[in-house]
Amino acid sequence: MADSGPEISKWQKLAEKELRGTSLESLTKSTPEGIDIKPLYTAEDLENLEFVNNLPGVDPFVRGVRASMYTNRPWTIRQYAGFSTAKESNLFYRKNLAAGQKGLSVAFDLPTHRGYDSDHPRVTGDVGKAGVPVDSVEDMKILFDGIPLDKMSVSMTMNGAVLPVLAGYIVAAEEQGVSQEKLMGTIQNDILKEYLTRNTYIYPPEPSMRIVSDIVGYCSKNMPKYNTVSISGYHMMEAGADSVLQTAFTIADGIEYVKAALNAGLDIDDFAPRLSFFFGIGMNFFMEIAMLRAARFLWADLMKQFNPRNSNSLMLRTHCQTSGWSLTQQDPYNNIIRTTLECLAAVLGGTQSLHTNSFDEAVSLPTDLSARVARNTQIIVQEESQVTRVVDPLGGSYYVESLTHSIIQEARKIINEIDELGGMAKAIVSGMPKMRIEESSARRQARIDQEKDVIVGVNKYQVEDEAPMEVREISSEVRDQQVARLKEIKENRDNVAVEKVLAAITKCAETGGNLLEVSIEAVRKRATVGEISDAMEKVFGRYVATTQCISGIYASEYQDNEILASLRKRTDEFAEKEGRRPRILVTKMGQDGHDRGSKVVATAFADFGFDVDISPMFQTPAEASRIAIDNDVHVVGVSSLAAGHKILVPELIASLKKQGGENVLIVVGGIIPPADYDFLYDVGVAKIFGPGSVITECANHVLNALENR
Amino acid sequence: METDPEYYVSGVCAGNRKILAKTITLVESSLPKHQELITGVLNRLLPFTGKAVRLGITGVPGVGKNTFVESLGMLLVERGQRVAILAVDPSSTHSGGSIMGDKTRMEKLSAQPNAFIRPSPSGGTLGGVSRKTRESLLVCEAAGFDVVMVETVGVGQSEVSVASIADFFLLLMLAGAGDGLQGIKRGILELADAVAVNKADGDNLAKTLQAKNIYADAMHLFSSDNTNWSPPILTCSALHMIGIAEVWETVLDHHEKMSATGALEQKRKKQAIQWMLTLLEEGLKDWFYQIPEVKKLLPQLTWEIERGESTPTAAVRKILTSLNN
Ligand code: B12
Ligand SMILES: Nc1nc2c(ncn2[C@@H]2O[C@H](COP(=O)(O)OP(=O)(O)OP(=O)(O)O)[C@@H](O)[C@H]2O)c(=O)[nH]1
Ligand SMILES: [Mg+2]
Repeated sequence: MADSGPEISKWQKLAEKELRGTSLESLTKSTPEGIDIKPLYTAEDLENLEFVNNLPGVDPFVRGVRASMYTNRPWTIRQYAGFSTAKESNLFYRKNLAAGQKGLSVAFDLPTHRGYDSDHPRVTGDVGKAGVPVDSVEDMKILFDGIPLDKMSVSMTMNGAVLPVLAGYIVAAEEQGVSQEKLMGTIQNDILKEYLTRNTYIYPPEPSMRIVSDIVGYCSKNMPKYNTVSISGYHMMEAGADSVLQTAFTIADGIEYVKAALNAGLDIDDFAPRLSFFFGIGMNFFMEIAMLRAARFLWADLMKQFNPRNSNSLMLRTHCQTSGWSLTQQDPYNNIIRTTLECLAAVLGGTQSLHTNSFDEAVSLPTDLSARVARNTQIIVQEESQVTRVVDPLGGSYYVESLTHSIIQEARKIINEIDELGGMAKAIVSGMPKMRIEESSARRQARIDQEKDVIVGVNKYQVEDEAPMEVREISSEVRDQQVARLKEIKENRDNVAVEKVLAAITKCAETGGNLLEVSIEAVRKRATVGEISDAMEKVFGRYVATTQCISGIYASEYQDNEILASLRKRTDEFAEKEGRRPRILVTKMGQDGHDRGSKVVATAFADFGFDVDISPMFQTPAEASRIAIDNDVHVVGVSSLAAGHKILVPELIASLKKQGGENVLIVVGGIIPPADYDFLYDVGVAKIFGPGSVITECANHVLNALENR
Repeated sequence: METDPEYYVSGVCAGNRKILAKTITLVESSLPKHQELITGVLNRLLPFTGKAVRLGITGVPGVGKNTFVESLGMLLVERGQRVAILAVDPSSTHSGGSIMGDKTRMEKLSAQPNAFIRPSPSGGTLGGVSRKTRESLLVCEAAGFDVVMVETVGVGQSEVSVASIADFFLLLMLAGAGDGLQGIKRGILELADAVAVNKADGDNLAKTLQAKNIYADAMHLFSSDNTNWSPPILTCSALHMIGIAEVWETVLDHHEKMSATGALEQKRKKQAIQWMLTLLEEGLKDWFYQIPEVKKLLPQLTWEIERGESTPTAAVRKILTSLNN
């Protein structure tokens, strides 16, 4: 504890008196980031902090990237959405714009993300389920029908199939009569974090980095108002990264893109001002605010090594999204309160645009109602709360400034580590960042499971009888519609011309040239997303992730050894009785890339004494069932979060049966709307574990089910 | 669990995947009744074994064993061969459990109809890695696989076991940062029939070629007891499928030479005899510690040594003579 002068000692005495015997030191708590938070901050904590008392709008931009911030113009309300079909999504967008939303943000479905057309055999469970399917420019045109692309800023979350999709947007605008230089908005185009956490990559890192550079290069020439990379930490946070990890890895990704663009021969000031960022904002209120301030400082600081002449090149402009992970299936209206707090943190941290999540986040894609509440959360903060009246209202706060400093320090350490590995691309290959994030996620889960971290409605103040909630369900007819449209498009285009332009893409992939330029040409000829992606895959190949498995982390965080010990005793007893340990295959089927849950379940089960097999990602039901048979597992645990369960789980069970695996126990975890439980039980699922399940309890249930077989 | 040996024997011989998998489970089981059953099954499978090329692969964690097996496996499958892979994964000493991600790195191969991949936890079973894998290997041979690969992490005892099972023992290595043999024990190098320096690609290529020379020099120091085979040092990139065919050529070359001279048969016989002796030693140990007299004397003598009242030599003599009476 700092001891300066009579004042602070006076406070210490008073506080100690209130504490009645417990030490003052015990009030200092360490965060997951490893930062000690003291009970009180004073002016002394600000001494020697270089960045305090700077002004907003000037380097190092800790207080904000604009001088006037929200006093002049508030942040952009930009809700991420897309589902079912281009037509339905378009309707949804138009309604939202009419109701106060200011920018668009398109969520594509998983087949599109991974470069598959809707008729591909690997995507039977995924079309339109978790975003909007776009197979060709015809879908793109419908998506933006009635939305003037020269006036509306459009953000597109696309990384894997970024070339055909960005080309589709450009051609859709063109056919609307809007030329390229008028387009404004953002393409995510941040491939590095896909290998880390988001999992919608297509090609290996090297050719993917070339694609990033090609896009940056093309846009810096032809689309001056367009943000060419949105360097994203959000997905890392949602996968388990704490604020320091999020900051460090995101900034390090950014530096890697800058280096790639410089290597491709671009001038720093021609593209750096068009780089933007995307951060995730969780429930640790002041930490989130400090994180945004720290990130701005670090970026400005690190960008100076490239000697930009334009100060905009030092500026970290960012979109933010509140944390979906912090939202619960249980007692879901609490989520509105959580989102409000997170929204406020993003605003006090100085974001340029924001997405707020819906209260049904942990159940399905938002309904009209939940989407309205989510949007209004921002509108209320913007138009009722008066927080926009002053620029950086927390500037000068002893606590926030000190915390900003701590994050800068801690993140720097990690950034240096990455430097030593040779930059972020190399670090990713080494596996270090992914490992850190997964460890952080496993620890978090263990703390929640032990009720050390409180989540209201999940591990404290639970509600007995929850009322059923309205759920958005995507019809499986969507796929049929898409397939029919694809057929029609292919029948009505000049197929010879298409073949020619696809060959040109393959050639360009092989020998060089700008891939976006040829992709635009191909889209004009009505080549599809899948065809364009395939044309490049011929040269680049498809990336297969190397899954690393951490072990012992969950258990090490688990202080309540009684529960752990009793589980280990159970698995030992099982082994004694059966001749081997209980063996479970944890698998992910379809294009669903949410692997946080499957990873943490796998590592925890191994810590309990299970033998755990993990399958590659993106399995077809036939592939998953074959692993189950070959490895002779007792249980298959399906983790399903992207709404493919009603198609994929029955197929898995049928396929197991065909191979004589009718005795294999099936359990399912993830996002399963309560209304679907009976459907899954009827096809033969033994047990379903939804969001918020305590993993020790899951394991006990699995063992019970095995014993009762 | 099916208890009729015929079920397993006919299933394995017919190449039924599920029954093959179940038979390996039996091999791995620690239950006496399963062991009895599998002994009978193995006896009947024996006539159908011995036809595969048995390839043992080891190397430090991260050297690229899985990736190598995926690449070599795909190459063989594309040539119309049937390949079985037995991968041994370490079990945790704390929980006894394990986490087996092998198939995440053998994605293409694990979907091939002509490939069978079985990861197994190293821990907990009687007889350790060698008994399980040796017998599983025989089962795979009976199921008609042309090549059986056994993959283990190169730490501790397991690679020695693998060498005692395989016709060809391949050691995968990396180009270290200037160091000699990076913790690989001399004994293991002596066992290797070839060393492949992996990750010979990209930035790493030059380093690999350098390492190849260093290792070649080091290998010279070990004079092999095999006069017609001197272990070559190769380089490959498992990830980019470079040099994999060459490694396989080497294996085949070795196989042909050894077969022609009868050395292969000799090696397998020697392995079988060694195997019998190992089993005998293990059996003896188990049997010995179960003797009531030993069970009684051992704690007593341990205590005496602790208090300095007896010496280890005297204590051992006492136990052994007590048995003679
Ligand atoms: C984290 C997250 C992400 C991260 C994923 C990071 C990662 N690598 O996993 C990021 C940000 C990358 C992401 C991206 C997307 N996401 Co997301 N995401 C989530 C979120 C917020 C939390 C999921 C999570 O990890 N929770 C923590 C883990 C530990 O919980 P869990 O997986 O549920 O597992 C628990 C139980 O379910 C159970 N369990 C689960 N599996 C198993 C298996 C076994 C064997 C057992 C015993 C138990 C068990 O035990 C676990 C412990 O309690 C959910 C909403 C929510 N709150 O759940 C949306 C959500 C799943 N995402 C959604 C969508 C649409 C997407 C995108 C497709 C959006 C888009 N169009 O671009 C993308 C693409 C992702 C992809 N490649 O598939 C939707 C899915 C909609 C639906 N099902 O109808 C959701 C539901 C949000 C929403 N309401 O819109 N997402
Ligand atoms: N550059 C390069 N990387 C490789 C090569 N072979 C494997 N790797 C990478 O090295 C890492 C480890 O490969 P694995 O095949 O899992 O290695 P392993 O020896 O089975 O590892 P453990 O199972 O942990 O013992 C992965 O990231 C592979 O992609 C190669 O030839 N070149
Ligand atoms: Mg391995």
